Amino acid sequence: MTFCFHFFICLCLVIFQTTVMPYLPLFDRFYDLLSPFVIYLSLFHSVRDSIPVILFFGFVMDSLSGGPFGLYLTTYVWLFVGVRWIITFLHVGDSFLLPFVVAAGVLMQNCIFIGTVAMLEPGSRFSSATINTVGVQVFWAIFTGPIFLMFFNYFHGRWNRWLKKVFVKKS
Amino acid sequence: MFPKKMVMIIGVIILIVVNIIGLSVSNRRYLSHYGPGRIAIYLIAPFQEAASRSIRFVRDVWGHYFFLVKVTKENDNYKKALSQAIEKNTKYKELKLSNVRLRSLLKFQKAITNLALAAEVIGKDPSPWFKTIIIDKGKDDGVEKGMAVVIPEGIAGQVIEVSSDYSKVLLIIDYNSSVDALVQRNRARGIIKGGSEDRCLFKYVLRKHDITIGDTVVSSGLDGVFPKGLIVGHVSGVVRPNSGIFQEVSVTPYVDFEKLEEVLVLLSS
Repeated sequence: MTFCFHFFICLCLVIFQTTVMPYLPLFDRFYDLLSPFVIYLSLFHSVRDSIPVILFFGFVMDSLSGGPFGLYLTTYVWLFVGVRWIITFLHVGDSFLLPFVVAAGVLMQNCIFIGTVAMLEPGSRFSSATINTVGVQVFWAIFTGPIFLMFFNYFHGRWNRWLKKVFVKKS
Repeated sequence: MFPKKMVMIIGVIILIVVNIIGLSVSNRRYLSHYGPGRIAIYLIAPFQEAASRSIRFVRDVWGHYFFLVKVTKENDNYKKALSQAIEKNTKYKELKLSNVRLRSLLKFQKAITNLALAAEVIGKDPSPWFKTIIIDKGKDDGVEKGMAVVIPEGIAGQVIEVSSDYSKVLLIIDYNSSVDALVQRNRARGIIKGGSEDRCLFKYVLRKHDITIGDTVVSSGLDGVFPKGLIVGHVSGVVRPNSGIFQEVSVTPYVDFEKLEEVLVLLSS
């Protein structure tokens, strides 16, 4: 059932990101919405629960994007591994550190993307707009990232309570 | 034999190297015919289509009904009489606008010699670093990989992935895109490549050619994808370095990629 919840949330995020957000000028340079979800998975869920979701939606995002196939998959896996590694010595569940963890995740994703483009297209030029875009995304991540994490956590709690109610009633 | 930490570091390095090689290989094989991405497009695109249509409906209602209702509030006495007329007017306006848009598309469709298929944009690339769109026509409608996608304003891109009902289009502003083009005025040839900030770079143009800002760039037809003479954009910057055989030319496409809603796929390019 946790899988269903994760798939449902991810599907909503993908649809929102590819169909609704392009029409909202305010979110012109918003970060990838699945990044906070991957961070949420690595902070609050087991590897067994998280890996299938990460692999599936990495594959979906790679299919919808024009980048080299496997780029999103790579980013999500390394993001997951990175955050899992960080929580071994840093208590990032603390709400004070959450904005910085999300911002670091978004920064890391952008670095992988830009690095890949630079590596595969050696002649490509990166203008000040690139730095600007990354800056804006990190800025958004600091202020909105923790809200997403709290929302995912809260919604998962509600989902569990609702499931318990349904199964208790049936039994 | 080795300390655990060292084994871990070596493991991570090997993983990174394998990862880079994998990405590099997948980038080279990008134009293969049977990409696994088709499955995901097939699964996700119906949801995107539903969401896009809902958004357009809400936007139309908001833009043409609520806004006008707000105006009628200023004339309370005429509100009842006016609201019906306004509603009708809104419908007519919307019809007129779509009529103008579709007429222009039809006129353009007649102007081009290829058989063309109209398609709607139902989704955009999730990443700001890559420029692709998803359209609501696929293999069942006769769309194939490599077909050119255009609008009356100019070239939009080319089909790179096809599922049964949907297709992915690589826009000309993506860094992976290339279009063989020439300057309309003096026939100087080069390659249009995607650049940053929704602009393109006109690469490999010889220094000897006199190119000025404002010159129109059109497709040459030599790439086998885009028919000859389709508008790409206008020259927005020229840098002629002291050394080297090429000049650096920036081109701003005529197509507004932010507002792309309907496109034409050239079926027999």
